[in-house]
Amino acid sequence: MSLQLRNISLQLSGKTLIEPFSLEIAEGEVVTLMGPSGFGKSSLLSYIAGHLAAPFAGAGDIFLNGTTLNCVPPQNRNIGRLFQDDLLFPHMTVGENLLFATPRGLRPERESLMKTALARAELEGFEHRAPHTLSGGQRSRVSLMRALLAKPQAMLLDEPFNKLEQELRATVRDYTFANLQIRKVPTLMVTHDPSDAPTGARIFEITKTGEIKIV
Amino acid sequence: MIANRKSWIPAFAGMTEWSGWSAIGILPILLLFALPLVTSLFYALIGAFDAQAWQALFAHPQLWSGLELTIFTGATATVLALITAIIIVATTFESITWKNLPATMGAMLALPHLAFAIGLSFLIMPSGFLARIIANVVGWQTPPQWITTHDPYGLALIAALAIKETPFLIWIMAGLLNRDDINQNFKNQRAAATSLGHGSLSIWLRLYLPQLMPKLIWPLVIVFIYAATVVDMSLVIGPTQPPTLTTVIWADINSEQVINNARGNVGAVFLSLALTISLLLAYTILKSTTSLCRKFLSSGPSSQLLPNFIGRANYQILIWLYLIVTALLLFISFAPLWPFPNLIPTMSTRAWGLVIKNPNALITSIFLAIATSTTALTLIICWLENLPKKSDQILFMLSIAMLGLPAILVGLGQYRAFLNFGLTGNLTGLYLAHLMPVTAYMIIVLVGPFRALDPRYSQTASSFAKSKFEFLKQIKLPLLKGPILAALAVGFAVSFGQYIPAQLIAAGRYSTLPIEAVTLTSGTNRPLTAAFALLLLLPPLLAYVIAAQLGKSRWRAS
Repeated sequence: MSLQLRNISLQLSGKTLIEPFSLEIAEGEVVTLMGPSGFGKSSLLSYIAGHLAAPFAGAGDIFLNGTTLNCVPPQNRNIGRLFQDDLLFPHMTVGENLLFATPRGLRPERESLMKTALARAELEGFEHRAPHTLSGGQRSRVSLMRALLAKPQAMLLDEPFNKLEQELRATVRDYTFANLQIRKVPTLMVTHDPSDAPTGARIFEITKTGEIKIV
Repeated sequence: MIANRKSWIPAFAGMTEWSGWSAIGILPILLLFALPLVTSLFYALIGAFDAQAWQALFAHPQLWSGLELTIFTGATATVLALITAIIIVATTFESITWKNLPATMGAMLALPHLAFAIGLSFLIMPSGFLARIIANVVGWQTPPQWITTHDPYGLALIAALAIKETPFLIWIMAGLLNRDDINQNFKNQRAAATSLGHGSLSIWLRLYLPQLMPKLIWPLVIVFIYAATVVDMSLVIGPTQPPTLTTVIWADINSEQVINNARGNVGAVFLSLALTISLLLAYTILKSTTSLCRKFLSSGPSSQLLPNFIGRANYQILIWLYLIVTALLLFISFAPLWPFPNLIPTMSTRAWGLVIKNPNALITSIFLAIATSTTALTLIICWLENLPKKSDQILFMLSIAMLGLPAILVGLGQYRAFLNFGLTGNLTGLYLAHLMPVTAYMIIVLVGPFRALDPRYSQTASSFAKSKFEFLKQIKLPLLKGPILAALAVGFAVSFGQYIPAQLIAAGRYSTLPIEAVTLTSGTNRPLTAAFALLLLLPPLLAYVIAAQLGKSRWRAS
């Protein structure tokens, strides 16, 4: 598994936000992209995921495991995404939220995948609970498990720990990176907090002029 | 002393203080809306304690066939309108069309049902425009043996109702989807679902609709009750052999014989009960499918996309139907002699000449529409300005009681009550009877935007020591200009379209446009009928266009 970005650039109403840059993220690697808000971090992720909307515009090639994604619609890209909010669907139970992401197949097999995921999240027996009855930490674990059940070939993390309480942050962060590494998913994370990045990983920064430089 | 005491009414519990202001908020609505409504219902219900009338009702040969037809036409029209509305909303959501959708739907809503039914009947009847087009192609010399209006299954009525109710449901759904909180939630959910492999069709079926439907229950109840108990449309285009139960009851209520009036009264109560039971039944059946639906929700990613061309086609057909029907009415109003297969009639202004010579119905309708919509606006603003937000649930309850009950039942109660208080056959009675539905609809349109105004405006104003009235006049009303004008236009249109209360309360002494139009449809003077349908249609449309123009904000929103 690998995610390759070639000559990617981003414009807002014709004005350059991000100058062309290239980057390859290897199997199981978590690359962090830093920069203040308004510099186009989230929009860059939207471009990679395939739903960048006007007035933003992007250019450049995205390769996933060697094949180009440029003409693939967003729902077929196999790129998972985690947001600031856990975005669990409020009208579905925890189990249904997980099954929503589990690829089609025989029901018993899908249910056992769902239960294994719940066990990994240390939430055995929570499948019939409504999302709003869970704590913030529990919800973000379900959200991660939901994203992983869809078998993503790459992950995009959009400041996923931003809204968590300080003491919870480190736990959720370690849990997330550990799970991504087990599945060897190449991951691009954007954040404005340097402490979010895993130790020893590559960190890039967006400068005021829109260039992306390694830190 | 009621001051400084917590209220025993839960909705008022938030109020720690009762003052003269609270009375100014409550009394107008109480006297002009709630009291007449409750009194009318009371009178409709006491009429039901008549054993002989019940016996007569159950002996009526058209009771059960009529009930079947009423429920069939009402339910089918509601389901068709809902499906069309969902298809159009889903395929236009966030597209270029989306921004103009509420405005387009508003214009369609402004057209009274009756005018639309008359226009549609001129289009599809055996000697109608559609048949003439075919006749000119195929070479028919006489009208075909179609049963396209007054058909025994009520299909024409269903079509007219579905086309007329679709814009209402679209308008409600667009209002929900444009609410900031829902809109943001849905956008986020879509991004998450897309990253999990779901296409737009799946997102609508598994995420948006399951969350929207619970909020559509009351609008759907209102549509169903309206469709099942509509009188004017049913007389113009509905089944006659046998008729719907609603028209059977209507004939009884208007009968010269007292014994039939009593049967009509219990009939209206019976119909209301039957419709309530069928709604409860439908609800129970839908509830029992929950586990099936939940299986569907969690059946895994599907990348299928919405069939956008079907939505666009539906939207275009809807718009063109309204345009064609309106154009046809205009065309026919200038056509006195028009032998069958000819497409182009000889033109004449005779019908309009007759209209100008006798403008009483038009004047009465316009007077009632202006008087009731401005009164209702005053009543509602009095309430909103003097009572806390929590008490609005009482307003909504009253509004839903008015709109969720069959108009034929409320109308009958109004007639009985008003007769008792000497309010039939005069303008005061007509005004009060029209005010009730107008207020009910305006509550639905106005309360949301009024309460959504940022409270910090009033905090800022009070720091400038502005009085409550000054604040209302100088800041609040100008800020709420758009919703207020829209509500006035809605009230105007609702008043214009009232047939049941007008016919019953006018008692033959006054005439309004719906009364004239319905009477004319049973005759043969098509140009005059078309002219009256246009008179019924143009002022509300004009009111809507004016409201939309004046209501534009001073600065174009970015």
